[in-house]
Amino acid sequence: MSQHELADIYMSMIGRRQFLKYAAMSGVGGLLAGSLAACGVTPFGSGPQTLVYWNLFGGGDGVRMITMQNDFQKANPNVDLRATTLAWGAPYYTKLAMAALGDSPPNVAIMHMSRMPTYADGGLLEPIDLNLLAQNGVTENDFLPAVWQRAIYNGTVYAIPLDTHPFVMYYNTDICKKAGLLDASGNLKPLQGTAALIDAFQRTQKVTGYLGLAVDTQDVTPWRMFYAMYNQLGGDILSPDGKSFVVNEAHAQQVLSFMRDLTQTYKVASPTIDYGGAVAAFASGKAGFFWQGEWEVTTFEGVIPFSMVPFPNVFGNLKTQADSHSFVIPHSSDPSQASNPLAYQFISFLLKDSLVWAKGGHIPAYLPVATSAAYKALKPQSNYAIDAQEAVLDPYAWFSGSGSDLENQAGAAFQQVLSGGMTPTQSLAQFKKSIQNFLNMPIPLPRPIE
Amino acid sequence: MSDTSIQQSIVQRGSRAEEVSTQRPSRFSPRWRNEAVGVGFVLPLLIVYVLFLLWPIVLGLRMSFFNWSLVGSGSGNFLGLANYQEALSDPNFWGALGNTLIFTVMSTPILVILSLFLAILVNRVRHVRWLFRIAFFAPYILPVSVMALIWSWLYEPGFGLLDGTFAQLGLPSVNWLTDTHVAMLSIVIATVWWTLGFDFVLYLAGLQQIPHEMYEAASLDGAGAWAKVWHITIPLLQRSTILIIILQVIASLQVFGQMYLLTGGGPNFTTRSVVEYIYDTGFTDFRVGYASAMSYLVFIVILVISVGQFWILSRQGRND
Amino acid sequence: MATQSITSATSATTAQHRPHPNRLVGSAATYIILAVLAILWVIPLLWALDTALKHESETTLVPISWFAPSGFTLNAFIETLSSSDLPRWYFNSLLTSAVITILTVLFASLAGFAFSRIPFRSKGFFFWLILAGIMVPGQILIVPLFTMMQSLGMVNTYWGIILPQLASPVAMFIFKQYFDGIPQELEDAAVMDGASRLRIYWQIWMPLAKPAIAAVAIFTFVWSWNNFIWPFLVITGTNMMTVPVGLATVQTSYGIRYAQIMATAILGGLPLLIIFIFFQRQIVQGFVGTGLKG
Repeated sequence: MSQHELADIYMSMIGRRQFLKYAAMSGVGGLLAGSLAACGVTPFGSGPQTLVYWNLFGGGDGVRMITMQNDFQKANPNVDLRATTLAWGAPYYTKLAMAALGDSPPNVAIMHMSRMPTYADGGLLEPIDLNLLAQNGVTENDFLPAVWQRAIYNGTVYAIPLDTHPFVMYYNTDICKKAGLLDASGNLKPLQGTAALIDAFQRTQKVTGYLGLAVDTQDVTPWRMFYAMYNQLGGDILSPDGKSFVVNEAHAQQVLSFMRDLTQTYKVASPTIDYGGAVAAFASGKAGFFWQGEWEVTTFEGVIPFSMVPFPNVFGNLKTQADSHSFVIPHSSDPSQASNPLAYQFISFLLKDSLVWAKGGHIPAYLPVATSAAYKALKPQSNYAIDAQEAVLDPYAWFSGSGSDLENQAGAAFQQVLSGGMTPTQSLAQFKKSIQNFLNMPIPLPRPIE
Repeated sequence: MSDTSIQQSIVQRGSRAEEVSTQRPSRFSPRWRNEAVGVGFVLPLLIVYVLFLLWPIVLGLRMSFFNWSLVGSGSGNFLGLANYQEALSDPNFWGALGNTLIFTVMSTPILVILSLFLAILVNRVRHVRWLFRIAFFAPYILPVSVMALIWSWLYEPGFGLLDGTFAQLGLPSVNWLTDTHVAMLSIVIATVWWTLGFDFVLYLAGLQQIPHEMYEAASLDGAGAWAKVWHITIPLLQRSTILIIILQVIASLQVFGQMYLLTGGGPNFTTRSVVEYIYDTGFTDFRVGYASAMSYLVFIVILVISVGQFWILSRQGRND
Repeated sequence: MATQSITSATSATTAQHRPHPNRLVGSAATYIILAVLAILWVIPLLWALDTALKHESETTLVPISWFAPSGFTLNAFIETLSSSDLPRWYFNSLLTSAVITILTVLFASLAGFAFSRIPFRSKGFFFWLILAGIMVPGQILIVPLFTMMQSLGMVNTYWGIILPQLASPVAMFIFKQYFDGIPQELEDAAVMDGASRLRIYWQIWMPLAKPAIAAVAIFTFVWSWNNFIWPFLVITGTNMMTVPVGLATVQTSYGIRYAQIMATAILGGLPLLIIFIFFQRQIVQGFVGTGLKG
């Protein structure tokens, strides 16, 4: 199109004065507001009593978090709580890191404890002000030592645990009864060892005609499953400094063989089912048992008769995989960020209110709630309370943590064993290779002061 | 950028202006004054251009030689070419590049052909042309986030429009965004819906340039509708087609929003574009040095492809 | 003979924008095909709107239906406008896009004018330097650009959003092309009165450049409003987000509420859609004129 044609069109369309007038108006307004904003004065300003809080909770957890937020707001009407929810996983953590780097982080945020060391190493977190915490009625004694220890990195406390959320076992009480697996009081008879488990799954499979065990074979569930059992056998995945791959191959093989037994040898579990499919199978009574994090408890309440127990003793103890939601104070160059009284007010209130949170299946970290009669009465949530102590969090490395590369790579490798695509040896080799890849990369974090 | 008609016309006009100015020297101020004024006019644009386009290019190159971290202070260790070596042997990088190329190859022909087809049809109608133009161009006005929200909802298993309609027609359900074989196609479909409008209006403008008399003359010679399209319309639209293909390819090679928002690069990284991988590496894994090295490699790839395309297509244009 | 009539007819018809089709054969088929395709194209938006007007619990009914058993409601829209940050995002988008547009038109027209109308020795060098920027794929710069912004302390600021988007070689080129096409005589008259170049630019050339201004302004406004990746990176606070970034980042905490999500999507796209419907032709011409995708 030639310029002359362009000129014809426009001259017939908009009058010159019209356009210039609009341009001027929006221009002046825009420049004015822009310069105001650049000076830090915004029309939607935030006052001294504002508390900005980020979390990544959707679904049922989201509802419960909002309930607790509202409880806080009611009890503290003078505080302007600005809560934002971002998408779970990498998007949340990336945004949180960039907010800290851009010097505009929230005043308090949720973080999976498994990610905390990486963020601490990156200088993205403020140490917890234990005095302020104590002033709000919360101290180290209000937590189990095992739980409190997780929040310490390089001698400094960087987080305050809200909960422990372990990988557990659900069972359909009706189906298990028909399979003869319940004791006199209607609880599951303790299952110990691989043989007993296979037997139990086979029995329930006969009842359902479909699956004995429903467990997600995609995403990161294969990692959780593996890690739970591997820890029961004992051993680390990575060295404490996060620099070397130290997997005990014999133990790993043992675990992976058992996983293969489930889907390939005895076929009591599906080799290809995904997260949603596993949930649906258990929820519709097509499986007697279900392995997953405890957070699905409200999905099944009122749908099927079920209960929950800690992840079974497969290899000699009750260790299981878990993570912990905790509160952190992101770093900012603003000196008031590190000791913001509102943040600690908020944290301590939510800890005390965490019975609400426990209903969603999480084990409250705050002992006064965890040892209360009200919590003990919560069934089946309180059945696996021991996992607060028995749980093992993901190994530390800059590429590890909830929803991280380590979990994804492990999940992808171990999925192959479940689907029958690889032998345990091959799968382990793939896992080792992918992790070694990350270990070979130069660490993108400033080293902590040793 | 050689041998294009654009450049030729610039050179023509530029020299004409110079000619004019030297014919009347007394009218103008001394040369240094012209220099100052000229540069002064250009300065605002030049400053932002140097600061926010040129300088990042230089900085990116520097960053690519270091273990630069997003969270570190300073540049990290000097790595020489290690980042580049790593990128060239990184299966994730090649995978992402492959995904991007697949996306480009899948989406470009559909967009070009479909938009041409629609433009030809719309050009033939006299009434309510504005209605069709709105229908096809409106999606282009939407930001990528809106498009992603709408299509995520359309692709929702069970009660999304597509699966729901399939169910009513007795067709099996499809895991549009979670099946590794289908996910890329789903993204291409959504992209075609979203961006076809642009190519469509470019073609429409080109079609309106074609003199009506050419078709009449062809009719007199006994040509049918299809023959006219093939022998008149398409050849005369060559310039538009070349432009569209080039723009489309360059845009597709840089795709980010659709992938990030519709599938997050999944399932199993089968839809992760190379820009998304750069983003993941730089901002999620904090490795901005490595991400810069990959950015440079991709820059070179895009440059080679676009220059190559330009050269091939404009040669073709001149030969016909 | 046929070619002679064509070439003589060409000059007459180039001023026309709507050739008159004189055949009715096949036009019915044309309308039908177009109608079907147009409906297909509009369905996603209609379905989104339909969902947004339903009660939340009825959005997930199976089998799916366009009808809502309990009738339609504006609840989702009200909820979105009152409890989300969308109004704030509108403001941020409007502010940044307006400033970007004004400054881009200003900077690009000044430079384009200089390249077209002022004789100075370094003209060629600067012109080609800036034009070469067209070859640089924008997405590739995000990593060093962010690092730069971080060290300048401009992350999560309006200027951080605005400044990188001002470097537009395309806009400069359009102005230069346009100014090249305007006859010299108009300037001559003004210069004889002793006017400075700046006055000539502002009082004579810019008014004549309406079409170019409109094209650049429209293209720039729409493109900067819809720009995703850069604002997504540089904005970290929810109260600073532009509409596309806010929609992509902030999740609804109440579990998946499709009516609300669709209402948010529709409200997010609405400002530009409205502008589009009223200024349809200008917008289309603006994009065609620049011939470059965002």
